[in-house]
Amino acid sequence: MAIYRYEELGENQMDVFREIGSIGNGNAITALSGILSEKISMELPEVNILEFNMAQNKIGDAEEIVGAVLVEMSGELSGLMMLILKRDFIKTMIKKVLSYEKENLLDMEEMEESLLIEVGNIMLSSYISALSSLTNIQIHLSVPQFAVNMLGGILSMPMAMMGIESDQIMMITGAFSIGGEEMDSNILLLPDIRSLNVLMKKLGVE
Amino acid sequence: MQKKISVGIADMKLTRQEGVLITYALGSCIGITFYDPMIKLGALLHIMLPEKTNSQDSNILKYADTGIQETLRKFYTFGGQKGRTVCKIAGGAKMFEMKGTGGLGNIGERNIIKVKSILKAEGLRITGEDTGSNYARTMLLDVSTGQVSIRTASRQEKYI
Repeated sequence: MAIYRYEELGENQMDVFREIGSIGNGNAITALSGILSEKISMELPEVNILEFNMAQNKIGDAEEIVGAVLVEMSGELSGLMMLILKRDFIKTMIKKVLSYEKENLLDMEEMEESLLIEVGNIMLSSYISALSSLTNIQIHLSVPQFAVNMLGGILSMPMAMMGIESDQIMMITGAFSIGGEEMDSNILLLPDIRSLNVLMKKLGVE
Repeated sequence: MQKKISVGIADMKLTRQEGVLITYALGSCIGITFYDPMIKLGALLHIMLPEKTNSQDSNILKYADTGIQETLRKFYTFGGQKGRTVCKIAGGAKMFEMKGTGGLGNIGERNIIKVKSILKAEGLRITGEDTGSNYARTMLLDVSTGQVSIRTASRQEKYI
């Protein structure tokens, strides 16, 4: 049975999306760990269906400065995917790869930006290719876009997209950290309602 | 220190005499302040999309058209007079350079255009604005003075 609102999802279906999050995140983290040659720990992914303000608070403080890599999914599955990189994560990343300390995140050099976009691209593509082979769905990803700014502003883009059809936002989130340092960066998978129905059908949990 | 009243996403708050209405990190969303200096009545609305297209949707503060309508209804009920009321707007940024998102890439710009045209149609004056570009803004309205300030990540706080 097709659903029309995120709230209609049952516990069974939520479990399946949690599993998708697990597999996708696992792949993304493995890819990141390969780039950095570091052990990355990840938390169990969560599936949250939350009202806009609650969703934002779940990820962090509205005025907190974060970096974000955004890709748009199209094809059988549509929606957005976003990698939210917290300040400490970006600093660690730049230190490990480019070997210097970065203080002002709002003043990014081209090299630093390319690094973060590339990392984001690799992580998000690994996530999606895992999801794609699991479900046998073709998913096309757009060229990744990058921004560093206040978290609230960054999230306004996916929220406006989801806001057209819902008062809530569905996020499959996966937090991760490097070498035990808590950096709670996040991968968000934000499928629209049509795509949820496609996924449920393919996975037999309609 | 004045009392701070926080306005969420798709939300509106109204207060009189004192207090600071504040909405955080407007991206493509728009913050609209309404202020009647004579009675020191202020309102701050945080909308997300230009217009309500789904008639089933009960969240009217999410949209510019229904949100402004509802805010004005309350504002006038609390004694605000149209001729004295001044409005200021902030937000409508383009946080990402998205292409082919069915108009979502420029949702900020569409929000700005819609908000301006509605305020004009309502016969209200816009006396200050800080819109567009690619960064988030926190908007504050000090109801005791009517001053509106904008806070961003990399620029000095400024009054509009």
